[in-house]
Amino acid sequence: MNNPAFSKVLIANRGEIACRVIRTLDAMGIASAAVHHPAEAAARHVRMAGEAVAIHGDTPVAAYLDGAQIIAAAKATGAEAIHPGYGFLSENAGFAQAVIEAGLTFIGPDHATIALMGDKISARTFAAAIGVPVAPSVLPTEDLADFTARAGKIGFPLLIKAAAGGGGKGMIIVRHADELQAAATRAASEALRYFRDGRIYAETYVDAPRHIEVQVLGDGEGGVIHLHERECSVQRRFQKIIEEAPAPDLPPSLREEICAAALRIAMAARYRNAGTVEFILGADGRFFFLEMNTRLQVEHPVTEMITGIDLVRAQIEIAAGAALPAALPAPRISGHAIECRICAEDPARDFLPESGRIGRLAFPTAPWLRFEHGLTEGQAITADFDPMLAKLVSHGPDRETAINRMIEALKQLTLLGVTTNIDYLIRVLDHPAFRAGDLHTGFVSAHGAALALPPTGRQARDHAAILAALGCREFAELVFATPEPYASMGFWRN
Amino acid sequence: MDRLQSTISVSSEAFRRHDAHNRRLVAELRARQEAARHQRPARDLERLARQKKMPARQRIEKLLDPGTPFLELSTLAANMAYGGEAPSASSIVGIGVVAGREVMIRADDPTVKGGAWYPLTMKKIVRALDIAMENRLPVIHLCDSAGGFLPLQSELFPDKYVGGRIFRNQSLLSKMGVKQLALVFGHCTAGGAYIPGLSDYSVIVRGSGAVFLGGPPLVKAATGEEVTVEELGGAEMHTSVSGTCDWPADNEEHAIALGREIVAQWDRPKKWEAQWQAPEPPLHDPTELYGIIPDDIKTSFDMREVIARIVDGSRFHEYKPNYGTTLVCGFAHIWGFKVGILANNGVLFNDSSIKGAHFIELCDQNNTPLVFLQNITGYMVGREYERRGITKDGAKMIMAQTCSKVPKFTVMCNGSFGAGNYGMCGRAFDGRFLFTWPNSQIGVMGGEQAAKTLAEVKINQIRRNGGDVDPQEIEALISQTRAAYQQQLSAYYSTSELWDDGLLDPVDTRNALGIAISVSLNAPIGEPGYGVFRF
Amino acid sequence: MPFTLLLDGEPCEIEILARQPRLLLAVNGRTYLVEPKAGDGMVRIDGETVAFARAEIGETQFLRIAGRTHVAQLARQGGAGGGGGSGVNAVKAPMPGLVIRVHKQAGEAVVRGEAVITIESMKLQMALNAPRDGVIATLLAEEGGSFDKDAVLALLVSLEGE
Repeated sequence: MNNPAFSKVLIANRGEIACRVIRTLDAMGIASAAVHHPAEAAARHVRMAGEAVAIHGDTPVAAYLDGAQIIAAAKATGAEAIHPGYGFLSENAGFAQAVIEAGLTFIGPDHATIALMGDKISARTFAAAIGVPVAPSVLPTEDLADFTARAGKIGFPLLIKAAAGGGGKGMIIVRHADELQAAATRAASEALRYFRDGRIYAETYVDAPRHIEVQVLGDGEGGVIHLHERECSVQRRFQKIIEEAPAPDLPPSLREEICAAALRIAMAARYRNAGTVEFILGADGRFFFLEMNTRLQVEHPVTEMITGIDLVRAQIEIAAGAALPAALPAPRISGHAIECRICAEDPARDFLPESGRIGRLAFPTAPWLRFEHGLTEGQAITADFDPMLAKLVSHGPDRETAINRMIEALKQLTLLGVTTNIDYLIRVLDHPAFRAGDLHTGFVSAHGAALALPPTGRQARDHAAILAALGCREFAELVFATPEPYASMGFWRN
Repeated sequence: MDRLQSTISVSSEAFRRHDAHNRRLVAELRARQEAARHQRPARDLERLARQKKMPARQRIEKLLDPGTPFLELSTLAANMAYGGEAPSASSIVGIGVVAGREVMIRADDPTVKGGAWYPLTMKKIVRALDIAMENRLPVIHLCDSAGGFLPLQSELFPDKYVGGRIFRNQSLLSKMGVKQLALVFGHCTAGGAYIPGLSDYSVIVRGSGAVFLGGPPLVKAATGEEVTVEELGGAEMHTSVSGTCDWPADNEEHAIALGREIVAQWDRPKKWEAQWQAPEPPLHDPTELYGIIPDDIKTSFDMREVIARIVDGSRFHEYKPNYGTTLVCGFAHIWGFKVGILANNGVLFNDSSIKGAHFIELCDQNNTPLVFLQNITGYMVGREYERRGITKDGAKMIMAQTCSKVPKFTVMCNGSFGAGNYGMCGRAFDGRFLFTWPNSQIGVMGGEQAAKTLAEVKINQIRRNGGDVDPQEIEALISQTRAAYQQQLSAYYSTSELWDDGLLDPVDTRNALGIAISVSLNAPIGEPGYGVFRF
Repeated sequence: MPFTLLLDGEPCEIEILARQPRLLLAVNGRTYLVEPKAGDGMVRIDGETVAFARAEIGETQFLRIAGRTHVAQLARQGGAGGGGGSGVNAVKAPMPGLVIRVHKQAGEAVVRGEAVITIESMKLQMALNAPRDGVIATLLAEEGGSFDKDAVLALLVSLEGE
């Protein structure tokens, strides 16, 4: 496009994704505006943006969830469109609608599509109606007695989820009939607590499934393409930590089938903008529609690296009215890409979030690497936000090369001052099962022992102790402030 | 600078005999030091453990920077006094590094009569503080003393160089800006109370530390007042009420940590910029000194062989090598410091005396510290030498040496007899440090000569009175005199009386001198008082 | 004094064996030749170059060496250098006044800085805090009671086994 799609875009987000979007805006010659809670006034996305507006809230997260303030900020800065990133307001239909009503462009799907896909039940019904496989399930209800009766008929194992849920919260696996009652009660109460919606539903639980998702782009006029699948099976606490594209060792026919199913959904929904259709894939080759995410995914860079397409640019162009030819073939795949989510968490303590301060940040650079982050040295890492700090993405002509490049890059990645999962990710990538592509969503717990922190060798520990000692002011003074001839003489008694 | 060539043969019979002899002497020295340092009555050690106190030497070890040297002075002080009941004169003195600063450490030893001060303790402490004054060396006192040893009060209180001198020196040190820190681990009673009182900084340990002029029994006797140690002079009282001490410490370890932190605050006064180069170990093995020092004091040896095993790289720039050859003079480095060395290679003649005086003047003009390696039987006697003015030439050397303003260091390597002791900077001449090797002897003359001289006088006396000389009586006189001299000439007697700053294993000489020279450079070197006379 | 670190939670004792001509350190008795200034972010240990990155957050050091992160802290000697160890035992009145409230009773443990007593003096209320970690050994104040300047209102003792 010769003229920029918009003169200015406001990013209703923070952290790495805000920085990521600004980078594309810069490349497109579009001005950027950031929002930030006062606690983040010095954040990287604030410094990268052309301008920034402070937004307020009882908590920092509440500020980023306050649509009215954000729309006001967009108006105040003269932005013409809002990019929601992921999380926060990105899948909030009300917000999308309010943006339009404010006379701005929402860089994402129609609010009706968001609402349709945002409710798991309506999404499943929609998918089932057009012949996309859906796991046998019990529709959401608050009537627990009715729920358990019907759920028991599906058979076990069974997965109970909150109707309004996401991110693994309120999910319970039930393996036996006698656990059902208690599990349903707990799931309902958690659903109510987390999402203020006590409705739960249940579906067949696929043991050791793979998580496969398909990136789609639609122009809202029926033009839809898919950008191939991603494998996101390596998860902990029901959240992805390693994603890759393409999915390793997927039979071509199955790959085609899954991508076709995703495309069918996008087409039927007359989908506009970027979206992701998620499936679970059983060991037997059966796959079921899981949900559709009506936004940019965290793991979108792996798709970008194998297709060469800038998804954020595509989002903006579509939002500005660009059309896609109805029958565009999927772009060619080049090589293999892997993404690792760098999180402030302690793998040794069940991946519980950690807090601290970024004391030192240094990351490797190479043509085959991307380091997506919103960090600055000195920045406090608190429980205010998601523990994901950054993403490291590697590309290679084949999967093995991409893995090796990722391991090397993780070793060089220096992010000190808070406990992170960096070393853990190295162990996952180097695990024979991972290298063999033998992946499923239970990978982390199945290989728990092998992935545990191995004891360091004595010499490596001693080296660390020496460096730590030399790093202590007290010790360094003892070593370096001794005058002559005492320093040369060393320990001596007469 | 040329390296000294060694001409000794390590496989010779003489070398091996000397080696065995001197190793025996050093083993004896080590054993006596070990006993002085650690051998205590069980009840004293038990009491210490009961009071949760560390032995004094452990306190010192914890205070010092790890991996650094400690030069202990006069370990065997009082070893031949008080029936041996005051090892190290109940006080430990030495020089080391604390928080990167060279300091004098002086510690009471509570396992010797509760840390009581004997007359020789006073002498040792006064000497330590004299060293601190002469060398501007900060002092850390580790206090834990019951006070003066009362049975010997007449020897430790009234005179000039005993008790009061400690406090006089402390006051002058403070005036000179030389810092003192007192770590009060135990009691500081009576005069002892002034040690923390006159220190610039003080730390006192809760529960065990106490400072008072009179302890509870004395207070009760004097005024009838009944008072506890804590109330009278405990840590809480002194750090919050009287202000006599500055910091309270929870325990001994804490006191030491606080002490190290306090020293870390001290400035590092600029030292005298002596000529210095990167140190280099001697080329010749210092342990060969054992085979070089003879097993008989009458056997002569070449002092260059000794120098070659003390100085950096065994390098020696000899001065006037062909003149006055019984005194070896020259420049060298010890632990990097440039020094001028004077070493005896025989009796001092007129020419060697003049050469010595001349070399001292050169060093004085060159700001080069002087090291005297003594092995001297005296200035030459006899008509010929008196006619040539041996007294006058010896006087020149004594005068030059006395009036030089560079730091002087003396090592008694074998013998120190007669006026040679004076010319070669004996104890009376205010050298900064004086060390003695265990084989060495010191006296106005040797035991043999003294016995013969006295026998000669006795025989003359008997004959003058017309009596008969009884050979047995004369023989008894000779052996008595020899025995008495033997004891008083010995290095152990010398060090017991603090005529030196300690006995040294000859192999340790290089390190001891290195520290001594370094310490001496804290004090400025003044202007020379005269030019260089070519006598 | 021995220098002790907690490395990844485990104690490491480090000794300086020699400084010159080469730095020789011992870690738990094992000796290493260290060249501390091999380059930026590098030391040489026993001839082998070890690259590292370091960050210090408060009292904690984070080190990344050979693709592995270590956490180290300085182990303080009991009582020494004390965050909560040094100072005085007595909670004393800085001026004459009245006791408004007693927050801690005898026998209760307190940490340094915790309010023990609130007093009022010259129309000014102030909390008197524990000067160090410990246990209230004696409480000499009662609510409503008056006192003079420098009166000891509470006395602390150290926790045993520290």
